[in-house]
Amino acid sequence: MATMVSSAGGLLAMLNETHPLLKLHALSNLNNLVDNFWPEISTSVPVIESLYEDEEFDQHQRQLAALLVSKVFYYLGELNDSLSYALGAASLFDVSEDSDYVHTLLAKAIDEYANFKSKAAESNDDTTNVDPRLEAIVERMLNKCILDGKYQQAMGIAIECRRLDKLEEAITKSDNVHGTLSYCINVSHSFVNLREYRREVLRLLVKVYQKLPSPDYLSICQCLMFLDEPEGVASILEKLLRSENKDDALLAFQIAFDLVENEHQAFLLNVRDRLSTPNTQPAEPEQPKSGEADSGQNESAAPDDAQMTDGSSASTVSTREADPSEVLYSERLMKIKGILSGETSIQLTLQFLYSHNKSDLLILKTIKQSVEMRNSVCHSATIYANAIMHAGTTVDTFLRENLDWLSRATNWAKFSATAGLGVIHRGHLQQGRSLMAPYLPQGGAGGGGSPYSEGGALYALGLIHANHGEGIKQFLRDSLRSTNVEVIQHGACLGLGLAALGTADEDIYDDIKSVLYTDSAVAGEAAGISMGLLMVGTASEKASEMLTYAHETQHEKIIRGLALGIALTVYGREEEADTLIEQMTRDQDPILRYGGMYALALAYSGTANNKAIRQLLHFAVSDVSDDVRRTAVLALGFVLYSEPEQTPRIVSLLSESYNPHVRYGAALAVGISCAGTGLSEAISLLEPLTSDVVDFVRQGALIAMAMVMVQISEASDSRVGTFRRQLEKIILDKHEDTMSKMGAILASGILDAGGRNVTIRLLSKTKHDKITAVVGLAVFSQFWYWYPLIYFISLSFSPTAFIGLNYDLKVPKFEFLSHARPSLFEYPKPTMVPTTTSAVKLPTAVLSTSAKAKARAKKEAEQKANAEKSSGAESSSTGASTGKGKSSTEKDGDTMQVDGAPEKKSEPEPSFEILTNPARVVPAQEKCIKFLEEGRYVPVKLAPSGFVLLRDLRPTEPEVLSLTDTPSSTTSTTGGVSAAAGQQGSASAMAVDEEPQPPQPFEFNS
Amino acid sequence: MDPKLTEVSQFFDRFKAAFVRKDFDTCTKLLSELKVKLTEFRSLPPLFEDTPNAVHELTLARDIYEHAVVLSVKDEDQDAFERDFFQLKPYYTDARNRLPPSPQEYPILGLNLLRLLVQNRIAEFHTELELLSSIALENPCIKHAVELEQSFMEGAYNRVLSARQTVPHETYVYFMDLLAKTVRDEIAGCSEKAYDYLSISDARQMLLFTSDQELLKYSEEEHPEWEIKNGFVYFQKAKETTPCKEIPSLQLINQTLSYARELERIV
Repeated sequence: MATMVSSAGGLLAMLNETHPLLKLHALSNLNNLVDNFWPEISTSVPVIESLYEDEEFDQHQRQLAALLVSKVFYYLGELNDSLSYALGAASLFDVSEDSDYVHTLLAKAIDEYANFKSKAAESNDDTTNVDPRLEAIVERMLNKCILDGKYQQAMGIAIECRRLDKLEEAITKSDNVHGTLSYCINVSHSFVNLREYRREVLRLLVKVYQKLPSPDYLSICQCLMFLDEPEGVASILEKLLRSENKDDALLAFQIAFDLVENEHQAFLLNVRDRLSTPNTQPAEPEQPKSGEADSGQNESAAPDDAQMTDGSSASTVSTREADPSEVLYSERLMKIKGILSGETSIQLTLQFLYSHNKSDLLILKTIKQSVEMRNSVCHSATIYANAIMHAGTTVDTFLRENLDWLSRATNWAKFSATAGLGVIHRGHLQQGRSLMAPYLPQGGAGGGGSPYSEGGALYALGLIHANHGEGIKQFLRDSLRSTNVEVIQHGACLGLGLAALGTADEDIYDDIKSVLYTDSAVAGEAAGISMGLLMVGTASEKASEMLTYAHETQHEKIIRGLALGIALTVYGREEEADTLIEQMTRDQDPILRYGGMYALALAYSGTANNKAIRQLLHFAVSDVSDDVRRTAVLALGFVLYSEPEQTPRIVSLLSESYNPHVRYGAALAVGISCAGTGLSEAISLLEPLTSDVVDFVRQGALIAMAMVMVQISEASDSRVGTFRRQLEKIILDKHEDTMSKMGAILASGILDAGGRNVTIRLLSKTKHDKITAVVGLAVFSQFWYWYPLIYFISLSFSPTAFIGLNYDLKVPKFEFLSHARPSLFEYPKPTMVPTTTSAVKLPTAVLSTSAKAKARAKKEAEQKANAEKSSGAESSSTGASTGKGKSSTEKDGDTMQVDGAPEKKSEPEPSFEILTNPARVVPAQEKCIKFLEEGRYVPVKLAPSGFVLLRDLRPTEPEVLSLTDTPSSTTSTTGGVSAAAGQQGSASAMAVDEEPQPPQPFEFNS
Repeated sequence: MDPKLTEVSQFFDRFKAAFVRKDFDTCTKLLSELKVKLTEFRSLPPLFEDTPNAVHELTLARDIYEHAVVLSVKDEDQDAFERDFFQLKPYYTDARNRLPPSPQEYPILGLNLLRLLVQNRIAEFHTELELLSSIALENPCIKHAVELEQSFMEGAYNRVLSARQTVPHETYVYFMDLLAKTVRDEIAGCSEKAYDYLSISDARQMLLFTSDQELLKYSEEEHPEWEIKNGFVYFQKAKETTPCKEIPSLQLINQTLSYARELERIV
C-alpha cells in the first residue's frame, strides 16, 4: 500500500534548514509534489524566491527554485510572474512536457514574445533587446514543432512572432511545400493585420516559391499582385509566353485572368506596359484604318473605341513577320494584353450574361402597373430596378416597350433613367459610346437635348467603362471642360471618376478640381466623389486639400461629396490612414465625421480589424448625430465582409436599437458583408426588420435582404420564396409608405440582378478585395442622400459563371458535372400570369438542351437559341405572337428530343446535372463542381468558376464552339447608326426571317 | 543489515551519547549530518517507498527527529523546534499505520501546542487540536496544554502562571517560562484598552513585575508609546488609533454617474 504524504509542511520546514543539501532535497521533492500541495507551498513562496535569488547556491538549485515558484504562481493564476520565473528556470523548463502548466506557459511565452516583437517592429526600434531567455524558449518550441512535423503550428507561431527566418525554415522543411505555402498565404491574409508586415511575409513567400523546382506561378503572381510588383509578374508572364510549350502559354493566360479578377486597374496596366514588345515587330500600326470592325459603323465613335480593337488588327500585322518564335510570342502577347486590359473577360462576361439572361419581365410589369403614376419616387425606383435587373445584359426591352411611361421621368429622374442605360450596357466597351450617342451633349452645336439626359448619358458612359476607361476618359474630360451646366458637370464628374477609377491621373484631377472650385452644390458633390474615385487607395496628399475645401464651403452637398471622396482615398491603407481618420472623426462637422466613418470602413475594409470595429461601435452608440451613428454601424459591414459569419452576431444588439437610424445601419451592414451568401443568421436578423415600424428601416432591410439572398434558390432556403412574396405584397399594397415601397422595388431588382446571373461579391476567389466592388457598394450606400448613386451597386456585381476557354480564348464545348440536385441551384421559376394565354414563356431547360444539341448543325442551334431569346424579350410587341408561338413550341419539342424525353414529373430528381461551358455556377454550387475525367479538355487550374483555361487533349480534331461571336462584333456588318445599334447588334446574330422588325431607335423626351 | 542504515545508527548512537553528556554543540553538528544522510533513504516521507528495511528506517528516522525536537527545546531555539517538528509530523500522521506508536508522541505534540500558545498563534493551536483523536486528548501532556489555553483565554492568568509547577514533562519548563511573557503582553494590551492611565505601582502589580525598574525597562522595550510621568503610566497615545475609514463618497458618485451614462448609451 502506497502511503501518501498529507502535507508539504515537513518539506517546507526543511527549506529553512541550514545545510544546502537538505534544501536541495526539499526543493526537488516539492517540485514533484507541487501539483497537489501548491496551496500550502504558496505561503512559503517568499522563502523559495529568496533561495532562487541567493547567489551562493549552485545554478541547478536556483533554477529548481525558480521552476517551483513558477509552478506555484501558475496555479495561483499569476501567469506573468509564473513566466518570469519559468524563464529563470532556463533549461529545467521542458517545452516538450505534456502538462497543463507547460502548455499554458508556452502559450503565454509565445504571446509575450509576439507582443514584444510586434511592438518593437511598430516603433521601428531594432535595438530593443528581447529577453534572450524568452527568445530561447520560443525558439526551442519552434524547433520542436518543426521536428515533430507540426509545420502549420510552427508557421503560425513564426508569423505571430515575426520570425520570418523560422517561417522560411518551416516551409522549406515541410513535406508538402505547396500545401504549406498556400496555407501560409491564407494565414497571412486572414490573421496578419498589419499591412506592412503582411507584405514582408508575402515577399518571403515569393522568395520561397521561386526557389522551388516547379514554381507555382499562379500563386506567385497572386502574391506579387498583393505586393504591387508588376515587374515580377511581367517577367513571369513573359517567360511563360516565350516558352515553346503551349501549356505554358495557357498558364500565362490563366494567370492573367486571375489577376484581372482582382480588378486592380493600375496594377494591370503596369503589367501590360512592362511586357516587352517582340523584337522583329515594327512599330505598332497607329491606326489600321480604325480596324475592319468599326470602320463602317460610326465615324464619331471611331477614334476612341477603335483603340480597343487595335489588338486584333495588330496581331494580323505581326503574323507577317519572319521569325516564327517571335511571331508566336507576339501573337500570344496580343492575347494576354487583351486579357490584362480586361477586355477579353468583359467581352466574355457580356456574352455570357446576354446569352443566359433569365430576367423576368413580368415582375417589372407588375411593378410598373402597381406604381401610381404620380409617385415619381416609385416611378424612378422602377427604372432603377429595371437597370439593376438587366445589368450587363444589354437587354433594354423593358425601356423600349414603355417609352410613354418612361417619358414621365423629368429632371433628375430623367438623369437617372438615362444613366440606367449605362448599367444595362455595362461592359459594352466597343459600342458604349455609340449607344449613348443620342443623349450625349453635342459638342458645341448646342444640341437640343435636355441637360439632364446629357448628364445622365455621361454618367452612363462612366458606368459602362467603370474601371476600364482607357478609351473614354478623353471624351469625358472634353465634355466636362466644354460645359458649365451643373447637371452635365455632375454626370461628367461621376462618369470620369468611374472610368478613371484609381488611376490617380493628375490632369483629370485638376479638371475635376476646377469644377469643385466653382462651388456649385450639385456639381461639387459629384466632383468630391469623383476625386475620391480617381484617387482611390492612393492615400495621396490630395486628401488634405479636399479636407480644407470641405471646411471652406457652405454647401452640405459638397462637404458630403468631399467627405466620401476623402474616405475613398484611404481605401485599404489600414494603419496608414489612422491620422486622417482621427482628424475626420474629431471634426466639429457631423458630415465630416460621417466621412470619417466611411474612411474607417474603407481603410480597414475586409480586415475585420478589432481596433476599427471597436472604434465604429463606439461611434455607433455615442455620436450625437444620427447620420454618423447610422454610418458607423453600416461601416461595420465593410470591415467585416471577409468574415460574414461575424457580422450578424456583432450587429444583432444594434439591430434592436431604439434608434431607427442604427437599425437601418445594422440592416445594411448585414446586407453588405453577407451579400450573396444567403447566410441563415443574416436572414433571421433581417426578417423582423423588414416589418419594422419605421419606413426607412423597412427600406434598408428589404434592400439588405435582397443583397443577402441574391442567387439563392428557394430550394435551398424556403425564406427566399417568402421574401419574394413579401416584396410583391408590399409593391401591390396601396397603403404602403413610399419609402418601403421603393425599398421593395429596388430589392426585387437586386434579387434578380444581372438577368439572375450575377451575385454581389466583395472578395475575389483568391480572397483579394475587389476594389471596384467595395468602392461601388460604398458609394451605393450613399443613395440615402442621392438616388442616382444607386447605380454604383452594379460595380459590385460579378457574374457567377464557369467559362472555359481554349488556346484561342474561344469558348469550346466542354461538359462538367454539378454533383447536386439541379433544383437546388436553378433559376427561380418565372412568374405566371394566369389570365393571358400569351404569357411570357421563358425557356427553362437551356442548360440541358445543349447536351445533345451538339449533334445538330451549329447554325441551327444558334438560330434557335436566339429565337428563344427573342421570344422572351419581345414578348408583348405586336406581331410577335406568331413568331413566338412557333419558337416556344419548337423549343418544347427540342427539349423533348434533346433529353430523350425521359423526365416525367413524377420521376425522382436526378442527384447531379451536366453543365455545359459556359455555365451558370452559383457560389453555393462551387463545391459540387466536378470535372469529367475522360473529356477532351482538361482545366489548367481546378477552379469551379470564373475563367478557366482548358488544355486540349485532342488538338487535331475540329473544335466546336459554344458561345457565338460577341454580339457586338457582328454589328459592324449590319451597321446601325443610332442608339439602337447595340441592341440591334446583339440581336443581329439571330436568324432574321422569323423575327419582327427590330424597334426603331428611340429617344424619349419629356 | 544495510550498510547505510548501520552507519546512520552508529551516528545516531554518537549523537545520543553527546546528548546525554549535554554537549549540545556536538549534537547540533551530528544532527545536521544525520538529516542529510536521512535524505538518501527512499522509504522516508515524502516518497514512502516500500524498501525491505522500511519499518526500521522509518523508526530510526522518527527517533532522530524526536531527539532533534527535544534538542531544540534544550537549546531554546524555537525556529529549530518548529522546523524539526514539522519534519517529524509525517511520521506521526502519514506513517501511523506502518509503525508502532512512539512513546514520545504525545509529549512532543503537547510541546508543540504549548509553543503555539507561547507564540500566541491561537488559530493554529486549535487547528492542531482538531487533528488529535479523543484518546490523545486524554493524555496528560495534551490535557495540560489544553487547560492552559482555556485559562489563558478566560484571562485567569494566575492559573497559567501557577501551572508551571505542574508540568507533565521536564522539557515543558522552557515554554512555561516563555508563557509568562506572553501573558504579560496580553495584560499590557488589555490595560491599554481599559485604562487611560495607571499609577506605576498598580501597573507593576498588574504586569506581574517585581520592581519598578523592570516595568520601566519593559515599557521602553515593548511599548515606547507609553508615557511615564508623575508616577503614572499614560496609555493615551497608543489609543489614538486611525479613525474609521472614510466613506468613498466621491468615487461612488462618479461610478453612479458613469452607470447612468452607460445606461443612456445602451442601444
